[in-house]
Amino acid sequence: MSATATLPPARRLPQIPWYVTLGMGWIVLVLAVALLADLITPFVYTAMDLQYRLVPPFQTWAHPLGTDELGRDVLSRLIVSIRVSLLIAFGATLISAILGTTLGFLAAHFRGIVEQAVLMLADFQAALPFLILALSVLAFFGNSLPLLIGLMGLYGWERYARIARGLAISASAQGYATAITQLGATPQRVYLRHILPNIASTLIVSMTLIFPEVILLESGLSFLGLGVQPPMTSLGNMVGYGREYITRAAWIMLCPATVIVLTTLAVSLVGDWLRDRLDPTLG
Amino acid sequence: MIRYILTRFLRAFITIVLVVTFAFVVLRLSGDPATIILGPEAPPEAIAAFRKSWGLDQPVLVQYIQYFAAIFQGDLGMSMRDGRPALELVMERIPATLALTLPALMLKLAMGVPAGVYAALHQGTAFDRAVMVAAVMGFAVPSFVLALGLVLVFAVNLGWLPSGGRDTIWHAILPIVTLGLGGAAALARFTRSAMLEVLGQHYIRTASSKGLAWAVVVRSHALPNAAIPTVTLIGFLVGSLIAGAIVVESVFSWPGVGRLMVVAVANRDLAVVQCILLLVATTMVTSNLIVDFLYGALDPRLRHGARANA
Repeated sequence: MSATATLPPARRLPQIPWYVTLGMGWIVLVLAVALLADLITPFVYTAMDLQYRLVPPFQTWAHPLGTDELGRDVLSRLIVSIRVSLLIAFGATLISAILGTTLGFLAAHFRGIVEQAVLMLADFQAALPFLILALSVLAFFGNSLPLLIGLMGLYGWERYARIARGLAISASAQGYATAITQLGATPQRVYLRHILPNIASTLIVSMTLIFPEVILLESGLSFLGLGVQPPMTSLGNMVGYGREYITRAAWIMLCPATVIVLTTLAVSLVGDWLRDRLDPTLG
Repeated sequence: MIRYILTRFLRAFITIVLVVTFAFVVLRLSGDPATIILGPEAPPEAIAAFRKSWGLDQPVLVQYIQYFAAIFQGDLGMSMRDGRPALELVMERIPATLALTLPALMLKLAMGVPAGVYAALHQGTAFDRAVMVAAVMGFAVPSFVLALGLVLVFAVNLGWLPSGGRDTIWHAILPIVTLGLGGAAALARFTRSAMLEVLGQHYIRTASSKGLAWAVVVRSHALPNAAIPTVTLIGFLVGSLIAGAIVVESVFSWPGVGRLMVVAVANRDLAVVQCILLLVATTMVTSNLIVDFLYGALDPRLRHGARANA
């Protein structure tokens, strides 16, 4: 009798498709770049060197990705842009998830008119293209970074609210929620300590699906010159300004454009994969 | 059926009211509309006259009602840049936007729907995988990157097509292709999954096992059912024609509504912004309404009120 025969079959690690692995690798790389931006930028991103304007990439070691029309190092600007774009996207995704989940819980808890109001707002949000809404708000209030993050924080809240409401309603009908309510737990405790952990995986999947959309939205606004304002830079902003040099110095625009595409691609591939593994019910 | 139609109309109306309310609240929250619209250097008499003509000296509720009255009479204010009515400015840009977005919509439908159906019917083949890769790429590549990529290849490197402006029909090609490709990818992916879901249903197996030819099963059982969710997405695409054109019109300097919006936002030309906001909301709500009625036609269950609240 061999010892192995009595052991349960070894649990195999889930097979991760190669493109998901690549996507995760890219996300880790981009996150590391964003976190270490101060340490790894070779130059200050606003520093100009008028002697070295429009240097193509791979020409000198000093400027591996070349320089722009003012002699600023493209690599340094790219690193800072990654940090700014990711910061906005993370901030906005968090705000939207918290806002949406809270409203969803309120709707599930109070039902009646509160629920109707939340659902009506969600319909309204879903009925209007967000870009139009965002542009209108920017026109009315002018532009600033906190406003931009707050505005983007409205993106997608209705999806979290719908999910949280639906899941919370079905969770409160289950034994565990009833039991702790009868033990005297406050509604806050029931929702935050008991229901939230149970529905967190679905919400996290939604976050990974909405996150790339937020990056695209921010880069679109910044590209139009209506998002992040100079001297600050973001990925969309770099593409927007680089476009004027598309005939002579396409690399200024191509570097940030590539990062935008790869990042949204990576996050959505990982998000799709997570959804299929954790929660196939999500659309 | 009448109840169904009435509910939809009521919903559409509420959405419009909410949009107008949104514009009203945002306008009031953003500070004194008189100084924002007329500019900080405006003489006090002008500001007083403006306040009077906009009813800003009235209580908020009265202002709210007057605001509604003005908008439903088509009075959307004057553009602060050239002093013409905002509605007029927006209306004269609409043909240019439609000249891009309608052909782009045709392109999306002509490419997206057949590709999605074919991919679903041949699941797992190379074509199916190609459609999925294209769909993922179509999502990840923002329209301005696609637009600039096309400019780089076809205008800068090959020199076949112009990169911006609106002088000849050749100027429309790159913007139309940019708009069409992105939407086609999304539509293909959506049609594919709608079709796959239908193909997995029992009634398809039943129809097939009672001896119907596969082509007949697909044509008379699968396609009509898969059309229901797809029509929703098409309705959304129609409703967002203007919003979708904002970025592309800007890249190609195309004088449509989208570009007007960007310029108006940059200049804080609020009357124009508000007018475009309402225009977009109305198109969106109208196309959603049409989709709801099409649903009624496509899905007999809805006609008979079984799921009137769905």
